Amino acid sequence: MRKDLVFGMAGSGGDGIVSAGDSLLQAAAAEGYHGVMTKSFGSQIRGGESSCRVRISTDPILNPGGNLDVAVALNWEDFLKFGAELPVSGNTVVIYEAATNIPVDQIPLVGVTPLQVIAVPIAEMAKSTAGTERAKNTVVLGLIAGWFGIGAVAVMKGIRKKLAKKGEELVEANQRAFDAGRAFAMEHPLKVSMNVVASETKGAVKLITDGNDMCGAAAIFAGCQFFGGYPITPSTEIMQFFTDHVWKYGGAVLQAEDEIAGIGAAVGASFAGKKAMTATSGPGLSLKSEMMGLASIAELPLVIVDVQRGGPSTGLPTKTEQSDLFAAAFSAHGDVIRPVLAPTSVADTFRITLEAFNIAEYYQTPVIVLSDQEIASRKETLDPIDTTQFKILNRVRPTGADLQDYKRFKQTENHISPISHPGMLGGTYLASGIEHVESGAPTNSGSVHQRMNDKRTKKFDPLKDRKDLFTVYGNPDAPIAMVAWGSVAGVCREALDMALAEGLNVKLLVPYLLYPVAEGVYNDFFASVQKGLVIEQTHLAQTFKLLRMHIDLPKGLKSLARSGANPFLPGEIVAALHHLLSELQRSHEGKLQPQE
Amino acid sequence: MSATGTCDYQAKDYKSDLKPIWCPGCGDYSVVQGIYRALAAIGRPPHEIAFVSGIGCSSRIPGYTTAYGFNSVHGRSLPIAQGIKLANPDLLVLAAGGDGDGFSIGGGHIAHLIRRNMDITYIVMDNQIYGLTKGQLSPTSQKGRVTCTSRYGSLEEPVNPLLYTLAYGAGFVAQASPTDLAGMASIIEEAIRYPGFAFVNIQSPCVTYGEEAQQIKGLKAIQETLASLGHNPADRLAAMDLAQHYGEKLHLGVFYRNPEPPPTYGDLVKERQALLSKDALPKERILDLFIKK
Amino acid sequence: MNTQGINFFNLSLMDALDLAILVEDEAEERYGEFAAQMDQHRTPDAATFFRYMVENEAKHGRELLARRVQRFGDAPRNVTRAMIFDVEAPDYDAARAFMSPRQAMEAALLSEMKAHAFFAAALPGIKDDEVRALFEELRDEELAHQKLVRAELAKLPKDSGLSDDDFVDEPAAQ
Repeated sequence: MRKDLVFGMAGSGGDGIVSAGDSLLQAAAAEGYHGVMTKSFGSQIRGGESSCRVRISTDPILNPGGNLDVAVALNWEDFLKFGAELPVSGNTVVIYEAATNIPVDQIPLVGVTPLQVIAVPIAEMAKSTAGTERAKNTVVLGLIAGWFGIGAVAVMKGIRKKLAKKGEELVEANQRAFDAGRAFAMEHPLKVSMNVVASETKGAVKLITDGNDMCGAAAIFAGCQFFGGYPITPSTEIMQFFTDHVWKYGGAVLQAEDEIAGIGAAVGASFAGKKAMTATSGPGLSLKSEMMGLASIAELPLVIVDVQRGGPSTGLPTKTEQSDLFAAAFSAHGDVIRPVLAPTSVADTFRITLEAFNIAEYYQTPVIVLSDQEIASRKETLDPIDTTQFKILNRVRPTGADLQDYKRFKQTENHISPISHPGMLGGTYLASGIEHVESGAPTNSGSVHQRMNDKRTKKFDPLKDRKDLFTVYGNPDAPIAMVAWGSVAGVCREALDMALAEGLNVKLLVPYLLYPVAEGVYNDFFASVQKGLVIEQTHLAQTFKLLRMHIDLPKGLKSLARSGANPFLPGEIVAALHHLLSELQRSHEGKLQPQE
Repeated sequence: MSATGTCDYQAKDYKSDLKPIWCPGCGDYSVVQGIYRALAAIGRPPHEIAFVSGIGCSSRIPGYTTAYGFNSVHGRSLPIAQGIKLANPDLLVLAAGGDGDGFSIGGGHIAHLIRRNMDITYIVMDNQIYGLTKGQLSPTSQKGRVTCTSRYGSLEEPVNPLLYTLAYGAGFVAQASPTDLAGMASIIEEAIRYPGFAFVNIQSPCVTYGEEAQQIKGLKAIQETLASLGHNPADRLAAMDLAQHYGEKLHLGVFYRNPEPPPTYGDLVKERQALLSKDALPKERILDLFIKK
Repeated sequence: MNTQGINFFNLSLMDALDLAILVEDEAEERYGEFAAQMDQHRTPDAATFFRYMVENEAKHGRELLARRVQRFGDAPRNVTRAMIFDVEAPDYDAARAFMSPRQAMEAALLSEMKAHAFFAAALPGIKDDEVRALFEELRDEELAHQKLVRAELAKLPKDSGLSDDDFVDEPAAQ
């Protein structure tokens, strides 16, 4: 019996493999399992290769998993296009379409001998039971129910609900296809049983959503009443969420004519006193940089979500990467600190998005939420979140006394000045991108510029003491360490658990606040560290370099960095940790040698 | 609240203490006077007005008023103005800037504001030159114009701001000039009162880099009020016909005012908000949207 | 010069006085703006002259207002500023960076001539005797103003004939 299974399925878009993944995830949730699903596509709008990965577990899931336990290939050409995204190992059961006419001992997987390989006449079964090959995905779901014990009832319940409007006939056809798949599995049992143990939380309420929808929901919870944006993959669903919901809360959404107008309108809405946001992906972030600078100098709260994809330029629009870190921290000219936060999962996208609004409002600043394609579009099953535990902050408004002689950019002890908005009597001022004195009047004085830069940067000092924006996992005094953020953090958490189980003395730092760099938090963390890895999906090791720019890193801290679309696997990280340990032991042995 | 208030305001109530940086003799001095007068006629208190601009000599203008001003970045007054209007539809929202700001770097925004028909008044101080950066070719410079970036004469036709906005379907298009301040003030007032997007092109001479023919004497020589031509501002085709003479003639007045103004974007937003508000989950239960049973 | 909606034929004395006051107000305001522009652009001599003109116009305006009040009390005005433009006020582009006092005075002189022409041109259409008398007086007043400005001009040293453009810095790009 298994507690955790990773399915990877690929076919062409017409095979409906992603739709099957959705059904599987929902069935798993209904049966009380935790689940994570990621999707990956070729570049065609329709009919290109598509794949999904569904991980199901009785325990909470930190990432979409490493090597597949179950691989489903509706055709090999499509499956192979996903390469490292769907890694098959010696422990994988491979199920594939018999109509490919490839013998089980000749499947095109190089350098690996799967646990078991089964050819199934999936298309033929679909045709004979449902009358159409299109029902292949339902046959696959039947096979999964039969072999792995997931969704025997719940899958068809879900399909029934989905197709209810289209008539009983279609539901019945699917039922026959499903039953045929299940029967095939029963008739051909696996060599090693891989049934998943029943979940103890069956029937409990579960949420299912992806990072983009979660981000939109968190924003509305935070009180965001304006979204300005422009469609761009993979962030567009955030705008879609707003167009579905924000009106209900008296807010508005503007699908603008371009990325600049999108953020511009959000800047305007913030100036007018409303919480506002925009969302984009890499190329859009580049376009928005001037407006981000404007929001910084005009000290206007604003949340900018950047769902990272492979870059530069168009790059890899449908694949994940962490290479926008430099752009998030540094884009827009001038001396600017702009906080950058990063969620690590769909679940914590709620908290981090809310935190972004709180920081934006409190510090009167643009804040970037650096999500990534994986978090944004992967679906997770979640336990309900008690939203009442979260605090919502609002920008500080001038008091009646402040308005007697109102200065919008007044120097205060914490460098944060009460902010008025149009409509407020006594609060009129000129917001501007040009340098200004305390009243807001333009200036080109060097000394005022120096003072205002001081104000605009020093106000962030307390942010660097926010230890709650960092989590340390593992043994706090460990000599071996990892640092990882965003979707890579989840992989590292799993690697950490594996390494701890293997007896390694190791720890992991997950920063949710990437910028400004909280020197104190890192220095505390690195105090015990002799060897370590900064693990990230950027070719240039941007995280490592950003840290090195601010902190005297331990000599033994190295970078483990690679380009996006090449996911890290927990196993390879554990191997790297073992390597660090042996280096550490060798250096200790070296030190023990008697000196001349 | 409508665009018109009841309080009694004087032009001076809209004048701030900031001293304009414009060159002596700049047409923009008259435009800001025209705006003070129009605002006084409308009578909205300054704190209920948001005045947005981009970058350029003329974009300094919000700071010279007592309204809430936003002197933003080059070419982006309109997106910001739209965000303000959507966030708080009760505000009187003005946008202003130069011809480069509006028709070059920010040229893409006008068409979209027009099709959204937000109740925003956009004033372009058109001087056919880039003044702030010292006299380069602008999008409304005449073909053949010699400037420091067109030593041998410009090779491009100018944009026609009047035809441009009329063609995109703006509900209110007018032109004014410092040769008639009272006329300018009343045109701006009428533009603000128009319920929807209103565009006012103001020929505002650049004394430093402008050509002789574009100075006030030159403008007076080619000006004609549309009223004196018997133009009917409800006639959009006639307006487009007259607008073709931009650059040769200075037609002052209202080219087009939609006699039946359609609902503004803000009206439609309010309608939608009212319709959907009953479907709102309490915010603390927003995540119930994701419950799968 | 622009006069909209004024029917000189029917103009009452009160309206004529009010109009004259508005003309002075406008000129006073414009000279005030010019003085401020000159201050802001470090041209103090021209600023001083424009302020002198502000005082002159204000003084004349006050005199007219006193007559109006004496004759008609605070009866509501029928005429508005929208009916006149640039009658006695210099054109907006009459101001120039680095104006010499001579240039400032010449600009003012042109305006006074413009005002004179305005009143002179209106005279033939005026029916009311009292109004005609007032306009004649105003026309002559403008001549007096011209004299005043010419007197100031005469006090100036002879023009060197050099152009400012030969000396001043180029405009600064922003």
